[in-house]
Amino acid sequence: MRAGPVARAAAGGVTRRRVQTVVIGLVLLVSTGASVLAVALLADSRSPFDRAFAAQHGAHLVATIDPARATGAELAATRQLPEVTAAAGPFGEVTVTPKPPGPAAGGLTMPPTTLVGRASPGGPLDNVTLQSGHWAQRPGQLVLASDPNPGSTVLMPIGTRLTVTGAHGRQTLTIVGIGDSVNSSAGGWVMPSEIAKLRAPGAPATAQMLYRFADAGSAAAIRAGVAAVTKALPPGAVTGTESYLAIKTQERSKIGPWVPFVVAFACLGLVMSALIVANVVSGAVVAGYRRIGVLKSIGFSPGQVVAAYTSQTGVPAVAGCLGGVVLGNLLAVPILAKTSNVYGVGALRVPVWVDVAVPLAMCCLTAVAALLPALRAGRLSAVAAIAAGRAPRQGRGYAAHRLLGRLPLPRPVTIGLAAPFARPARAAITLTAVLLGATAVTFAVGLGASLSRVENGISHSATEPVQVFTASAGPGGPGPVHVTRIRSTGPGSAQSGTGHLPTATKAQRAVTAALRTTPGTLRYVGVNAGHTISVAGLSQQVALTAFDGDARWTGYAMISGHWYTGPGQVDVPTGFLTATGKTVGETVTMTFGGRQVTARIVGQVFDTGNNGLTIYTDRRTLGGLAPDQYDIGLRPGVFAVAYAQALSSKLGPAYFVSLNGSLGGHDQGFLIVLTLIGTLTLLLAIVAALGVLNTVVLNTRERVHDLGVFKAVGMTPRQTIAMVVCWVAGTGLLAGVIAVPAGIVLHHNVLPAMAAAANTGLPASFLHVYGAAEIAVLALAGLVIAAAGALLPAGWAASTRTATALRTE
Amino acid sequence: MDALVRISQVTKRYDSDGQPAVDGVSLVLAPGEAVAVMGPSGSGKSTLLNLIAGLDRPTSGTVAVAGERVDQLSETGLARFRRRRIGMIFQFFNLLDDLTVEDNVLLPAQLAGLRRGQARARVDELLAALRIERHRNAYPGRLSGGERQRVAIARALVNRPELLLADEPTGALDTATGEEIGELLLDLNRSGQSLVLVTHNADLAARYARRVVQIVDGRVTSDAASPGLVGVQR
Repeated sequence: MRAGPVARAAAGGVTRRRVQTVVIGLVLLVSTGASVLAVALLADSRSPFDRAFAAQHGAHLVATIDPARATGAELAATRQLPEVTAAAGPFGEVTVTPKPPGPAAGGLTMPPTTLVGRASPGGPLDNVTLQSGHWAQRPGQLVLASDPNPGSTVLMPIGTRLTVTGAHGRQTLTIVGIGDSVNSSAGGWVMPSEIAKLRAPGAPATAQMLYRFADAGSAAAIRAGVAAVTKALPPGAVTGTESYLAIKTQERSKIGPWVPFVVAFACLGLVMSALIVANVVSGAVVAGYRRIGVLKSIGFSPGQVVAAYTSQTGVPAVAGCLGGVVLGNLLAVPILAKTSNVYGVGALRVPVWVDVAVPLAMCCLTAVAALLPALRAGRLSAVAAIAAGRAPRQGRGYAAHRLLGRLPLPRPVTIGLAAPFARPARAAITLTAVLLGATAVTFAVGLGASLSRVENGISHSATEPVQVFTASAGPGGPGPVHVTRIRSTGPGSAQSGTGHLPTATKAQRAVTAALRTTPGTLRYVGVNAGHTISVAGLSQQVALTAFDGDARWTGYAMISGHWYTGPGQVDVPTGFLTATGKTVGETVTMTFGGRQVTARIVGQVFDTGNNGLTIYTDRRTLGGLAPDQYDIGLRPGVFAVAYAQALSSKLGPAYFVSLNGSLGGHDQGFLIVLTLIGTLTLLLAIVAALGVLNTVVLNTRERVHDLGVFKAVGMTPRQTIAMVVCWVAGTGLLAGVIAVPAGIVLHHNVLPAMAAAANTGLPASFLHVYGAAEIAVLALAGLVIAAAGALLPAGWAASTRTATALRTE
Repeated sequence: MDALVRISQVTKRYDSDGQPAVDGVSLVLAPGEAVAVMGPSGSGKSTLLNLIAGLDRPTSGTVAVAGERVDQLSETGLARFRRRRIGMIFQFFNLLDDLTVEDNVLLPAQLAGLRRGQARARVDELLAALRIERHRNAYPGRLSGGERQRVAIARALVNRPELLLADEPTGALDTATGEEIGELLLDLNRSGQSLVLVTHNADLAARYARRVVQIVDGRVTSDAASPGLVGVQR
């Protein structure tokens, strides 16, 4: 059966205009891929915890059970409770204090970690998502939670061997996988048979049960469920519970800051993709006006012309869309994995509806972009279509040529710079595409710089890379104490220990002596961070951080006011001011050790830990608390790990020496976010460059005869390339100059939104990251994008045979 | 006297199994000659011109102009060669519509890097000689065919080329205008400009060229003095 005339005309257009076909396909491929990723990010940024919770069959309640008080049958019977819709367990549970290998971690110790015995990562509840490696399949294998302890300071890749002291003495556990539980139900998982062996002699057995309830929408509903389970079991069987709502609140505060940034990039990507697709497709049809005129002159009806041209663009567009879905999903796998790390939820996926809706939307956009100019061409007479398809309207750009021709620049450059004025609409669309790409670059650079300051503002890893923890006697006297420390949620913060410890005074002497004699010590300050206090007007306890000495160097960035200068003054984070309704300059009344103390708030400090409920002050404000840790600044050039090892050796096992921040120098989450920023920015820049490529290809095709004339009168290939690149260089430079303030405005709006979502203000220094040098370089981003998009077609133009070009009408 | 153009056994095929456009052509042109290349449509005369100008490359054979092996030059070399040695005039003028007459004529000089003052003086000289001074700031779209061809001739002459190549220079013009252009070319030749003229018009060839080379199906079938030059004083 012979193809109809429309199909033949469309097929002819596709095969003859190979470059255009490839460009359309490529643009749709990258734009669809970027859009799939952008929409997936947007969708996953909407309540990621809730969706991860549903996808991983999260448990509403994690209960710790004393198996000595409840039999297996009694535990199984709790599944039948009317309040319970699903249950899993009992899973054996044990708390261990693993010791990583000495050289890798500087002889440091991990905090106590809860391990649970599970035969597989799946099950009716709390599916553990494996990020890497495999599940424990043999004794001695461990799947570590990706964030076993907030504040973990030691990198532990797969293959790391940890030593624990169990029932039969020291045992080795090898990390074979890294997993995520949406419930954070354990610090790690081993085979069920390992639990008994890992339990320290004399330690009581515990087990874990997981429950889902019919009604779990509120804390009260969860409490009712807990009550039902507790009542159904013998007294004392339920020794501890954790509600998913607490995890959700924690995750929300963790996720919150990142959502505005992800949303900003996703929206940029969507707008750019739509713009480029519309530009490319409509441009392709307009470039075919002459051919449309020829088709009409030989008898094609307007409807047939429209059908031919929408089909001609549709074929590569559909192929590009389908390829783009694949590309988008391939990109999404690592990027959503990184986003799920940032968000702290188990796994994020591209929703199925995104894979269907995005290519459909792109195809519709393509159809509209092709249909509108095709309809216009269909309505024109054959002669008018042919005339419209020739060079741009006469008179356009003439003045620009005259003016630019007077500049003392090489002639190919001035001819190239004048070209956009002949096609102002096309130049405007190209300008917009490059502008968006360059804006993304400016925004990304600023965001990266700001986040670096945020990361340091949270961790203080640059200013106080090493910390020493001792016991705190507290007011009233010495003695062995159970110490639990809660600091900010940044790395290097959480430590706990029990046992017999040196007295406070002896500990201070020992530590300060060691610090003075360990080479590399620049400065140090004693800190008491082991207490919570009551504050008038707040029901929750507030963490207290009391410094012994000058602590201005420790790296707390001020949002407003100043660091305290003596006793009776305090600095607080934004969260504290929000919770208390106070402002800098007002007084706050604290109750500590039975005494009431009033102090003045002299500054608002950047600190996101503990929901901002922390008070920083001189230790003399509250009666001379002894330090229970020391924050240490190092001399330039001193390696933190080597220093920590030396100090740990001097101090011995009674003291915890901790590295503040990862061994790589940056928090892993921060590095992941930087990677995300870099990947998204690169995608947007590529889409922008593709838009430029399309413009230059269209221009080259339109002006191929003129290119022949230029070459015939002596233009060399290099001059041709310069001229063609200059077709878009002026537009690109202008776009870059506009993009700098646009990117800065975006940065200055997104970053405060991120901070607001994290319930904190921002120090001015975190926002003002664009120096004169950065601005000057960023202004060239548009030029670079434009030049990158123009180089390939410029090369084609330069290599076109002159005689062939001259024969083209 | 050394030949200005020496073409030796040149063949040009566009299709590996088709008829060659130029088939084993050999030709020698002396400086100052005016040669007409004649033949029916598709005979290969324009292809031959393109090969001399370096606008196309021969499939085999050699092309030398002013001692320079054109067939061996790179694209950059060809562009520089055309600037220095060749001026081209086309049937449909091939002027750039968005440049003024002055800018069109200036273009080859600017590409060759001629100093601004020098280039402008040369342009002034040519516009005056070709009687198109008053159209200096006009755009080609506003000019008549004859005026456009004069602009094209001025552009071709701006870098003082050794060889002027004209491909059907009067093909798009009416008879009277065509004769004017023909006389112009004759005057240029009389003043020493070497000229190769491609035409299918025997009368034009006879009147404005000293030698006529006939090409049919890519082969030279005759190469003789133009009958129209009998009695013309040199």
